[in-house]
Amino acid sequence: MSEIIFKPCSLKEMWEEMPNLPESRKYMAGGTDIVTVENAGFPSSECWIDISDIPELATVKEEKDHVFIGAGVKLNDLETYPFIKKYCPALLAAVHDFASPSLRNMATLGGNAGNASPCADGVCALVSLEAAIVLRKGNAERKMPLRDFFTGPKRTKLEKDELIYGFEIPKKENLLGQYFKLGPRAFFGISKVAVALSAAMEGNKVKYASVAIASVAPVPLYAAKTSEYLTGKELTEDTILKAADIARGEVSPITDARSEADYRRDMSGILLERALRSFLN
Amino acid sequence: MEEQKLSFVGKSFERKDGLIKAEGRAMYAADREFARMLYAAAVRNPRPRIKILGISDEKAKKVPGYVTLVTYKDIKGQNAWPVLDLDYPFLPEKIARFAGETVALVVAETQRAAKKAASLVEIEYEELPNIQDPLEALKPDAPEIGGTTDMKNVYAHFTIQKGDVDKAFEEAAYKVEGTFKTNYQVHGYLETQGSIAIPETDGGMTIHSTTQCPYYVVDGVAAALGITYNKVKVIQTVTGGGFGGKEEVPALVAAHAAICAAKVGRPVKLIYSRKEDFQCMSKRHPGWAHIEYSADKEGHLTGCRVKYVLDAGAYSTITAIVLFRGTVHSTGPYKIPNIDVKTFGAATSKVPCGAFRGFGQPQINFAQESLIDELAAKIGMDPVEFRLKNLLNPGEMTATGQKLTSSCGLSELVEAVRKKSGWDKKVNLHEKKGHIAKGIGISTCYYGVGLGAKGRFLDRAGAMVNIYKDGSVGVSVGNAEMGQGALTVFAQIASETLNAPMELVKTEEVDSSKVPDSGPTVASRGTLMGGNAIIEAAKPLRERLFKVALDMLIDKGGTSGKMIAHDGVFEMDGITVSFTDVAKEGWNRRLKMCEEGWYVAPHVSFRLDNGQGDAYVVYSYSADIAEVSVDTQTGVTKVDKIWAAYDVGRIVNPMLATGQAQGGILQGMSWSLFENLQYKNGIMVNPNFTDYVCATTKDKPEYDITFIEKLYDEGPYQAKGMGEVPLIGVAPAVANAIKNACGVRIDSVPLLPEKVWRAIKQKNAAKEAK
Repeated sequence: MSEIIFKPCSLKEMWEEMPNLPESRKYMAGGTDIVTVENAGFPSSECWIDISDIPELATVKEEKDHVFIGAGVKLNDLETYPFIKKYCPALLAAVHDFASPSLRNMATLGGNAGNASPCADGVCALVSLEAAIVLRKGNAERKMPLRDFFTGPKRTKLEKDELIYGFEIPKKENLLGQYFKLGPRAFFGISKVAVALSAAMEGNKVKYASVAIASVAPVPLYAAKTSEYLTGKELTEDTILKAADIARGEVSPITDARSEADYRRDMSGILLERALRSFLN
Repeated sequence: MEEQKLSFVGKSFERKDGLIKAEGRAMYAADREFARMLYAAAVRNPRPRIKILGISDEKAKKVPGYVTLVTYKDIKGQNAWPVLDLDYPFLPEKIARFAGETVALVVAETQRAAKKAASLVEIEYEELPNIQDPLEALKPDAPEIGGTTDMKNVYAHFTIQKGDVDKAFEEAAYKVEGTFKTNYQVHGYLETQGSIAIPETDGGMTIHSTTQCPYYVVDGVAAALGITYNKVKVIQTVTGGGFGGKEEVPALVAAHAAICAAKVGRPVKLIYSRKEDFQCMSKRHPGWAHIEYSADKEGHLTGCRVKYVLDAGAYSTITAIVLFRGTVHSTGPYKIPNIDVKTFGAATSKVPCGAFRGFGQPQINFAQESLIDELAAKIGMDPVEFRLKNLLNPGEMTATGQKLTSSCGLSELVEAVRKKSGWDKKVNLHEKKGHIAKGIGISTCYYGVGLGAKGRFLDRAGAMVNIYKDGSVGVSVGNAEMGQGALTVFAQIASETLNAPMELVKTEEVDSSKVPDSGPTVASRGTLMGGNAIIEAAKPLRERLFKVALDMLIDKGGTSGKMIAHDGVFEMDGITVSFTDVAKEGWNRRLKMCEEGWYVAPHVSFRLDNGQGDAYVVYSYSADIAEVSVDTQTGVTKVDKIWAAYDVGRIVNPMLATGQAQGGILQGMSWSLFENLQYKNGIMVNPNFTDYVCATTKDKPEYDITFIEKLYDEGPYQAKGMGEVPLIGVAPAVANAIKNACGVRIDSVPLLPEKVWRAIKQKNAAKEAK
């Protein structure tokens, strides 16, 4: 009945101690989803492995062809890295819509992905950036596109004891990013719909586009058809409206306590229109 | 011989309790610890309406630290909570009527153990038919699920009948009708409900409780324990917000703690989690109203019909008084000769609703002020002009036939906000930039101060003023500080009456054993009732002290006999003595330096057959103009600015009054736009602040607040009441502004983006069809 918090100093220590911990063990990073445990129905645990102070998980670095963001990096720290600004503009745009400043001081991208909510702002932005998620278990490591990591609301491909290690975001030159969110109020709310757009432009021509939409599907949605349609198009009013319509067709929203399906569907298009227009010269 | 101008009343003194709260030093109920204290946690009904077949603590017993299970069998007194009626058992015996209702309690050595054990208590039950919709509850074939009147499933009903309404509608040049709905509102106080019960050796019980109505707690605890009132002592802890939510229900929470403490013979603490607080504590009643107005060809209102239904939930609690207030004000602050009002408080199988800032008025004000705009539009009149033509002015009759006194500045309020907002220029502008449409809307309201005819038996208050030997002053009151600033305002009133410096005056949170039952601190009656009681207590002290001061000044060489008392100093011919010196001299002379005061509100009346009478002692007034920006693609409304004007009599503390106004506006705006408590199949869907969304400071509009002080001679230093009036008119002003901005009428609160978006789509589709 007693509850345990195990706080390792390194991954090495963690993997070594792991077999001695109760079977129901779970990872905890910022803990921001756990404080709402009783209210939001987040599953509790008898054993938490507190990974918030493991240095390896807090690294952010620029590699040759990608940027690495450790799973334990605090949201509010992302802005301090110039290469994040350069290669992950959609993520930085999303940070301001992510919870509240005090929560961003605690919350991590790893937790955002691990919680596997279709409304996760950080994840939605990362999906539009075509990020890969890096998973580790002991010495074994595997990677997959983040968009494939989720299997349903609150469900992922994580195996028992597997740890989200970090994210690799491919470096693309001249990348623009936008994140438009429709929440329940001006600030600090869970999205009804949010659209992340990462794109490279040549004048008003879309060289590359990648669209992700939150809260409109069982998982953070990569809008493949919309992204494909936009890539290579001249960004005219006609293209914008057409892309919005394709996006409306790609989403499969539900009606719940937060919003209504048909509204969410329409807003997926409206927010995409607005994101695209913001890239017009 | 003596004269005194106001030194303390009318000034912006800082909150007496401001700093301790800001610094986190205030001791709330949850912060208090007592030796050998145990913890209680509630076992809650999981389904909407059940027949209880058995309760088992077999599994709970295994939790380390588990002490005992507490059920209705442990109640030594009556198992009926005394509110207005006796339909709410402290703990249900056979039937539980709503999901979240406390069915039993467990007591344990720690709070975690108590919660864990409570979650393991098993209730064996059978589901019973339940009703979710109040209109369904009123149908003849509905199952009987509650009710305390001659009508099935009805806790209260009222009527107002005046003139000949049918004739008015037959002869009318213009008629409008509409059906409007409003949803729940959750009080959202920072501090959840909580109580500590400490058994005393004489069989009594001391209660530490977060509450705005300590005397209701006395009623509840005495009844549950079956002990006399003189054995129950209720100490109000620093109360972290009330808004009506700590009116009736703290008595239930305290009674539960007391029943547990009586059983185990040790102090028991019961603190609610936010989720429990959502599920089973009171809420603003959802409202449903069908209204009709008629007017003659000049635009004078001639008739009004109202059917108004409140969704009261599973028990009656104080629905009757909430409905009474809604009834009296249901036709709006207008002179209307022909009136037919019928109102009902209907039972449903959901959380019992109770007091909430505005108390049955915001729901109906939203409906009638929305419809008044529709009528003005139909006649082709400006909404402000139409209101000015029909508003109540001094000497005119309200719906209940009450003649208004000179303390009525409603028309001036409307003129003030009209001018300050630039209404005349903006109202026909319909400015649109891209997808953002701007609009402006108005509402007016009047608010009967105090408990009114339905609660008149409670409308009295006491106070005790005690001047200590060192010249410091203790003020004990029966009315509660809950964040509104009562401690400060009461101190100002005591200071003013005694000519005592503010820093020497301390007002204390309520101790029920010090001051007699002063009724609840609700209905904007705190300043009026508590303030008058303080004046009553302080007056004889003032007479004594002023005589002492006069003697002292003459002793010191004053000759003119003309004494001026101001700012804590007594002065004659340039010679001064301080309040402290005067108080010490009073003690030297062995004068009585402590007095009690008692104030009883003037007579009010209400005839049940036709709803005629002087329903409230006096009215406060408001006019609100809202300016909004509506995103016509997303339906999102932003309230840019609110111009509000209030007549609440004399302003005792302008800073605190402004705070009340801003807080009321924001809470009203939050209810208008965001707050949306939802039930699905009898279960509350979003009992948390993640999905029950309130406005934050980032949503706040710009405020422009005007006070027009129409003095009320019966009030303390001519003040009326102000706590509630700022909230009431916000929703209709915003709804009217949305209509002005984009041409759609949203007839239900909250005015969600989804509703605006759909209405705009429908309007555009209709336009295209043409």
